[in-house]
Amino acid sequence: MKEKFARWHILLLQYFKRDWKKIFIWILALGLFSAGFIPAFEEMAKGDGLIGMYETLRNPAMVSIVGPTPIKEASKYTLGAMYSHEMLLFSGLFAMIISILHVIGHTRKEEDLGLTELVRSFQVGRQANSLAVIVETIFINLILALFIGVIMISFSADGITTLGAFLFGFAIAIAGIIGAAIGILMAQIMPISSAATGSSLGIMGLLYLIRGGTDISNIKLSMLNPLGWVYLTYPFTENNWLTIIFGLIFSLVIMILALSLEGRRDMGAGYLPERQGRANAKKTLLSIPGLFIKLNKGTIISWLIAFPVLGAAYGAIYGDMETFLESNEMMKQMFTYSGISIEESFTSTIIMVMVLLVAILPIAIVNKLFSEERNLNLSQIHGTKVRRSQLYWTNIFLAGLVSIIGLGLAVGGLGGAALSVMKSTTMNIVDFLVAGYNLLPSILFFIGLAGLVLGWIPNLRKILYIYLSYSFFVNYFAGILNLPKIVINTSPISWLPKMPIESFKFKNFAIITIVSIGLTLLGYWGYKRRDMVEGA
Amino acid sequence: MSKLVKIQGLEKSFGKVQALKNVSFDVGPGEVVGFIGPNGAGKSTTIRILLGIIKRDAGSAEIFGKDVWRDSFEIHKRISYVPGDVSLWGSLTGGEIIDLFMKLHGSGNREKRDYLIERFELDPRKKSKGYSKGNRQKVGLIAALAVESDLYIFDEPTSGLDPLMEQVFQEEVEKIKKEDKSILLSSHILSEVERLADRVVIIRQGEIVESGNLDELRHLTRSRVVLETEGDVSKMLEVNGVHDFIQRENQGIFSADHEHLNDILIEASRLKVKKFEVAPPTLEDLFMRHYQG
Ligand SMILES: Nc1ncnc2c1ncn2[C@@H]1O[C@H](COP(=O)(O)OP(=O)(O)O)[C@@H](O)[C@H]1O
Ligand SMILES: [Mg+2]
Repeated sequence: MKEKFARWHILLLQYFKRDWKKIFIWILALGLFSAGFIPAFEEMAKGDGLIGMYETLRNPAMVSIVGPTPIKEASKYTLGAMYSHEMLLFSGLFAMIISILHVIGHTRKEEDLGLTELVRSFQVGRQANSLAVIVETIFINLILALFIGVIMISFSADGITTLGAFLFGFAIAIAGIIGAAIGILMAQIMPISSAATGSSLGIMGLLYLIRGGTDISNIKLSMLNPLGWVYLTYPFTENNWLTIIFGLIFSLVIMILALSLEGRRDMGAGYLPERQGRANAKKTLLSIPGLFIKLNKGTIISWLIAFPVLGAAYGAIYGDMETFLESNEMMKQMFTYSGISIEESFTSTIIMVMVLLVAILPIAIVNKLFSEERNLNLSQIHGTKVRRSQLYWTNIFLAGLVSIIGLGLAVGGLGGAALSVMKSTTMNIVDFLVAGYNLLPSILFFIGLAGLVLGWIPNLRKILYIYLSYSFFVNYFAGILNLPKIVINTSPISWLPKMPIESFKFKNFAIITIVSIGLTLLGYWGYKRRDMVEGA
Repeated sequence: MSKLVKIQGLEKSFGKVQALKNVSFDVGPGEVVGFIGPNGAGKSTTIRILLGIIKRDAGSAEIFGKDVWRDSFEIHKRISYVPGDVSLWGSLTGGEIIDLFMKLHGSGNREKRDYLIERFELDPRKKSKGYSKGNRQKVGLIAALAVESDLYIFDEPTSGLDPLMEQVFQEEVEKIKKEDKSILLSSHILSEVERLADRVVIIRQGEIVESGNLDELRHLTRSRVVLETEGDVSKMLEVNGVHDFIQRENQGIFSADHEHLNDILIEASRLKVKKFEVAPPTLEDLFMRHYQG
């Protein structure tokens, strides 16, 4: 027994040395994300903010997304209650994802790459690596818990108690530890590392969806869900440490199970056989469009599911919109314009958010062509009678097509949900769709920029996302920060009217569309004549 | 038609790095040319220019009499190319990728494909993220060999293949050679192309340093000999064609000029040979000789 794990502690020290930069960033970034928004929430809580938030988040659609609160009446909803209600589940999910990736990356993935064989040829036990990685991950999560607790306390905000702050931290840590346990288990069962990662994240997603249902229907059932143990701690309100104990026991059992499975399997093998793929390609794959649709399929489908869901989540707010906006001066400035019905002005802002969200997908598709190029995946294709124009335009068209579909789904989801929760309104679904497609040229503009970058400066393709985030910031906060017109106009969204509060302007629509097409042509010109970047 | 591939004074720089300084060579019809050079010599750069993947800075490069950059589409209908580092889409199986490449090339032969998959012992149902480097290489080779082309360009085709599969590759290339196809075969190991190549072109630091058929180049090469004799092995020192002689007791280690092998053997047999080992010349030996003049 002992020799299986021989010298694991030496590996552990080795791993701390190897990973310290990653660990530092992990704890800092996740810690700040989890604990750092307290000042923003204090701002939101001012005036009737807490009551408004309470009403909004009590909506079942919101509960299924962010989780429940034990508070039964608005007056008892404190800053701490609101903070853990909104932030705990998501922070826990992030902690879980990072731990899963870390554990599988350093166990199964290294094994698949043949690195483990190298380590084993030194004098360490067969399973020393797995044990060391598990202990490392647990340790990182515990430090994270303390770090989160300390940051939260440091704001010395009203209602953020010391006990609650550390419980909040440990709840996030337990999410990470459960993630590590699931990861190490899947690493044994699955035939290869990518399948282990996929299935671990899949299990997490499934637990999330199930708890979304049980939180609304019967919260006792969420107590049976490992993900439930994270937020059912209810920091700052009930301060329930019991579920942390559940989580620890659960993780321990799973980890022991995983290690014993590992002891009985061959290196590089899993318990589930590798699924046999196709020996021959389907007809639909056998062309450049077929290939790129296939390569982007996963991304496209997940976003096309996410768009209407996110749209509906925003749409669900319409029911409590009045309370929500009345409650807080900041929100009010952001979303309302004088003399316009509240749902129309709210819609114009939300649609802008939706459009920028939808723009992520086409940018990702255009950028994908470059990562394929740089990964050398296209080398052999360059030796066939495929023209560069085919590669370029296939991806530009695919990006345009998913933008049109995605925008419809997002705005449709928003409008559908909004109309179903509003008691009386003058708006109908067509108003939502028209307001959405009114902004389509701004997405096309982002595609044009993406093409331009692909053709001329592909190494800088990340700036597209920076510009997208910047546009979001400018348009979202234009109202509160009183940004000057010249700054507001640096975002392509600003070049189009705010529907439904302003009316459609054909000239703007046409000009931006034509400019965008011009940009893609310019990008093509560069793409056609530049060196393909291969591996450099 | 005279030459299939014609390269004259090719130059290419990447930023400050001048990868190709002056590259000229050609490949005739039905000819197999070995393109030899150490890592970083500029083989892949030259080949990428030939495929229109990157653009030359100066010089000319033609295939089938057409410009490799301007007319790449026309050229690609009749060539097969396997890159040095075959990288594949992890989510597709080997079989799917082979079909895709064949289809994009345009003139695939199904039976040849299935035959080659069997020959190379590739599991076509496996997702390519599970393939080793050797298996990825096989996918590229099978796709390239299963289509009809007039010119085959292989960039270090056997890197990652085990010796058995290297053998299979050589046999398959010999078959297309018999069909009078032209082949450009790059490698950093001289012995790899020796069997197939009619002619070798040697590149070093972006310049062609030698070219000719292997026999012509033999004069440049010396084999490494380890000789053990009963008699006094130091007598070998006086024989013509023996260089860099080192003696260890009864053993002599030296380089031997190929044109003087006969004299060397005659003298050695006088001394009563107990052991005689010859190692073929390596690329490094060849360069050493070249630069010694
Ligand atoms: N895309 C590139 N960017 C920068 N340098 C490159 C690039 N491609 C090749 N090089 C450089 O050019 C030289 C020749 O490389 P290469 O043609 O790949 O050599 P070989 O194939 O003979 O090993 C090397 O010094 C290499 O570092
Ligand atoms: Mg190379």
